[in-house]
This record gives sequence, structure tokens and C-alpha cells, in this order.
Amino acid sequence: MSTHTPRRPRRGALTPYLFLAPGLLLFSVFRLYPLLDGLRLSFTNARLGRAEYGWVGLANYERLLEDTRFHTSLWNTAFYTAASTLPILAIPLVLAVALNRGVVLRTFLRSAFFFPFTLSVVTVGLTWLWLLDPIVGPFNYYLRGLGLPVRSWLADPYTAMWAIILTTVWWVAGYYLVIYLAGLQDIPPELYEAAALDGASGWRSFWSITLPLLRPVLLFVFVTHIIGSFQIFGQVFVLTQGGPGDATRTVVQHLYETAFQNFFHFGSASAMAWVLFGLIVMFSLIQFRLLRGHTEY
Amino acid sequence: MPSVRDRPGRRTARSAARRTALTGVLVMLALLWLSPAVWVLVTSLKFTPDIIRLPPEWIPWPATLEHYGEVLFSSSRTARIGRAFLNSTVVSVGAVVIVVFASATTAYPLARMRFPGRDLVFGVVVGSLMIPSAVILVPQYVLTQRLGWLSTYQGLIVPEAAMTFAFGVFLLRQFFLSIPGELEDAARVDGASPWDIFRRILLPLSQPALGALAIFAFRSAWNDFLWPLIAVNKPDMFPLPVALALLRGAYSSESYGPIMAGATLSALPLLIVFLLANRRIIEGVRLGGVKG
Repeated sequence: MSTHTPRRPRRGALTPYLFLAPGLLLFSVFRLYPLLDGLRLSFTNARLGRAEYGWVGLANYERLLEDTRFHTSLWNTAFYTAASTLPILAIPLVLAVALNRGVVLRTFLRSAFFFPFTLSVVTVGLTWLWLLDPIVGPFNYYLRGLGLPVRSWLADPYTAMWAIILTTVWWVAGYYLVIYLAGLQDIPPELYEAAALDGASGWRSFWSITLPLLRPVLLFVFVTHIIGSFQIFGQVFVLTQGGPGDATRTVVQHLYETAFQNFFHFGSASAMAWVLFGLIVMFSLIQFRLLRGHTEY
Repeated sequence: MPSVRDRPGRRTARSAARRTALTGVLVMLALLWLSPAVWVLVTSLKFTPDIIRLPPEWIPWPATLEHYGEVLFSSSRTARIGRAFLNSTVVSVGAVVIVVFASATTAYPLARMRFPGRDLVFGVVVGSLMIPSAVILVPQYVLTQRLGWLSTYQGLIVPEAAMTFAFGVFLLRQFFLSIPGELEDAARVDGASPWDIFRRILLPLSQPALGALAIFAFRSAWNDFLWPLIAVNKPDMFPLPVALALLRGAYSSESYGPIMAGATLSALPLLIVFLLANRRIIEGVRLGGVKG
């Protein structure tokens, strides 16, 4: 840097960019560039190990229209997302409201529910694989003890996805619980006191105070959950590997196999990724539209 | 359901009894919630023939550490948990260092300086939180391959750091904004440079947020599965989740002992962090989650 030219003011103007440089370098090279490069790849016939590849226009996307396994995986992902949303929104909410009622041992309880969230998806998957073992697993043993029907939950196409949902609820409920608790603490207690003075029942104040004021938190949980569900992979990989048949095959698993296990077809996998991305963006926008509204108080 | 903060006059015997009952129900639920994890620990301590005995025995007696010895030190199996533990440690610590440094230096001007392009930078970085990592999987692999980073530590560390970076910027900027500016103004009058202010004033005051971010980054790097699954193809370089997933394939389904020992080992570091820094983690989730 030359010191004798009248650079002082310009050096001051550079300061913010010097601070930004390392972070933005990391971000541009490993987030932005791959995102756009993925779009480019989706229009090519790139393969693993193929040095030269060509432009194929929309061929990869057209092939997806005929790829029935991709359709199955889209459907399964949609089913998983739809079926898991209510339990994942509601169970932590009920727990949070209960924990917020001045129970003792609050920290212990919150930590107990949060703990599974510190585990990796593989550990969680292995845990439930063992619990749900059809013959020697404790889950079926206790069900039998209660006189309930048992089955090979993970090997039965009608129950495998539900077992994956159960596993996921156990894994992430504590995270959403903590977020709900934070939201509940921001609701001014005077509102409940006023409602109680007016003779509102517990349910009434839950519906008219708690839920409306939790709206931004609910929106956050909803969007986070949907983005996560569209990408479900680890649980499926460990618990069922997409089976039985293709009953639990999901989009990211199909993408993973297309790119890295069976066909090494990067172009086609990138097209899948962008279809998935488009769906996620679309759903997020719809949710923001639906759930926005007045949240000021 | 009213979470009415009770004033003394309202505290009746009936509501106290209800609260006790509610606590009882929640404690039972919490124990039920923890039971799968306890079952993993119990299984890992049993002798192999005892593991599949029904009815399930919740006290591992006689106990043994043989499964731990096997997964840590035996080299006959395809996946070596001891080595994977080391790999995960290197990768996670590396990712934490990069994330904390890069997020802090990026968040500082975004929170404290005025310059052209600031809102654009912030918008793009925060908007990228919506980019699903699965979507950039293939191009990131192509990039990592071109750099010659497949099956290397940097090939795991740098992409993991990039994944958590946007969240870190968001979190730290929020926190920096909440720190009053008087100290910095005083330091500036005394001739301190922006770098001095950043290092001597802002960072020390931001320790809670930096700690929360470090834990968050550690957790995501330690637990990430999809990226190392494709970016590593040498068994010696597998981090824990990949090694564990392959351990499952290495044993027949009845040998739950070693698998559960591996699962327990992989859970230990975060369990310890969690017990030591419970409050900070909760605070981090709060800051990152809701305070948008």
C-alpha cells in the first residue's frame, strides 16, 4: 500500500470491505457458486469422472417427467412432509404450554426433551432401528404387553414411513419446544390476567391470546420444518434405505443414488435438486403469505 | 391454557395440586422420552447373549466394556470408531474456528458501519439460509473434487463452515446491534482503529453469542452426515456419523452391542457440552430462532 498518495479517506472507505472479505470469500465460493453451478449442470449431461460434457437443454428435466421412481420419491417426500407437520408443530407446543405453567423441574424437563436433538441423525436412526427390531426390540415387546398389535414396522410398506416420522419427532421435538418456550415468555402476562378477570377459560385464552401471539414463532417452526422435511435423507438411509420396495424412497435419497451410487449422473441429479429447490421456495412463499398478517401487539 | 403468573392471593390449594399433577405427568413423559437413549447406553454395556434377551432388562448386569474396546481398537472391522472420533474432532474444531472468525468479521461491518452494498450483502447472506444443502450437494462435490480436496480434512472443514456461516452472521449481527455504541465512540476518539475496536471491545462483550455460535457450529459439523458420506471415500477419513452408518453394515443385525457402543461414544462430546453449557445452548436456539 503506498503511503504518500492522498489515500487516507479511501482507505477508511475500504475498511468494511476488508472485514467482509474472508467471510464473503468463503460464502461465495462454497455457497453461491455451487448453487449457480448446479443450475448450469442441470442443463448438461455431466457424469462423475467424465471430463468433457455437453449442453443438453431441458433433457434432464424432461426425463424427470417420465422417471416414475422420481415421482414415487416426490410423493413419499410430500406424504412425509404432510404427515409429520401436525405432530411436529403440535407436540412441542403442548409440551411448551405445559412447561410454561410454572411446573417445578422445568430445566430438567426441558433438557430431557431437548437431548435427542444433540444426537446425529445416524445415532438417532440406529437407536430406533434397535428399538423397533421386530423380534428382540423392546418396542414390540411392550406393545404386546399392552395387548396391542405388533408388526415389522420398518419392513411393512404401510408403517415404514410412520416409523420414520416417529423417529424424527423424537429427534427434533425438543428443539421446537425451546423455540416455543422463548416465544411464550415474550407474551406479556398481563394479557392472561386481564382475560382471567374477564372470566375467560383456559382454552379460551389459549386460542385467543397464546396462538395469535405465537404466530411469528409458529411461522418460523412451520417454515423450518417444511424446508427440513423436503430434504429428509439420513433417517431413511439408516432405517429403511428407501424400502420396503420404494415405500420410503425420498427425493434426496433418489438424488444421492442417481449422482453417487448407481448412475453417477450429475446432470440429472442437479435437475432434481432444482425441482426440489423450486418446490421449497414456492411452499415457503405460500406459507409466508398465509401466516403473515398482524403480529404486532 | 392460562400461564397466569400467580399472585399470592390466587394461589389456592387446588391449583397447587393441579400443578403437582402436571409436573408428575411431565416427568413421566420426560423419562419415557429419554428411555430410547438410556436403552442404547444399557445395551452397549451388556454381554452379547444378554442383549437380545426378553423381557428387556434395563439394568446392564453383569456389565462389560468389551464392545467399547472392540469399536475403539479393533482394526479388523471396516469402520474404526476410534479413528473416526479423531476425524470428527479435527473437522468440528476446524469448522468452529472458521465459522466464528468469518461470521464475526462479516457481522461487524454489517452491524456497525455504513457503506454502499451493505443491505445487499446482508440480504443475500440471510436469504441463503433458505438454500437447502441438499440442493448444492452435486456442484459442491464437483468443486471439492476440482480442488483435490476429496477425502481430506479441508474438504470437510471448509464446506461445513460455509454451511453454518450465514446463520453465524445473522446471529452475531443481531447481538452486535444490541451492544450500545458509547464504548466504541470513546475508543474511536482515542484513535483506536476499527480492528482494535472489533478485537478489544466488541468481541469480549459478545462472548455469550460467540459461545452459542461455537456450540451450534460444533453440533452441525459433528453431526453432519450427507456431505461426509459423499466427500470421503477413504475409511481412514470417515467422521463418526459415516463410520457408524457403515458399522451397521459390518455387523449382523443381532450384534447390537458394538453398534450401540459406537452410538454412545459419538453422543458423548455433545452430551458433555450440553450439560456444561445448557443455558447457553438454549439461549443460542432462542437468539437464532425467533429473534428475527
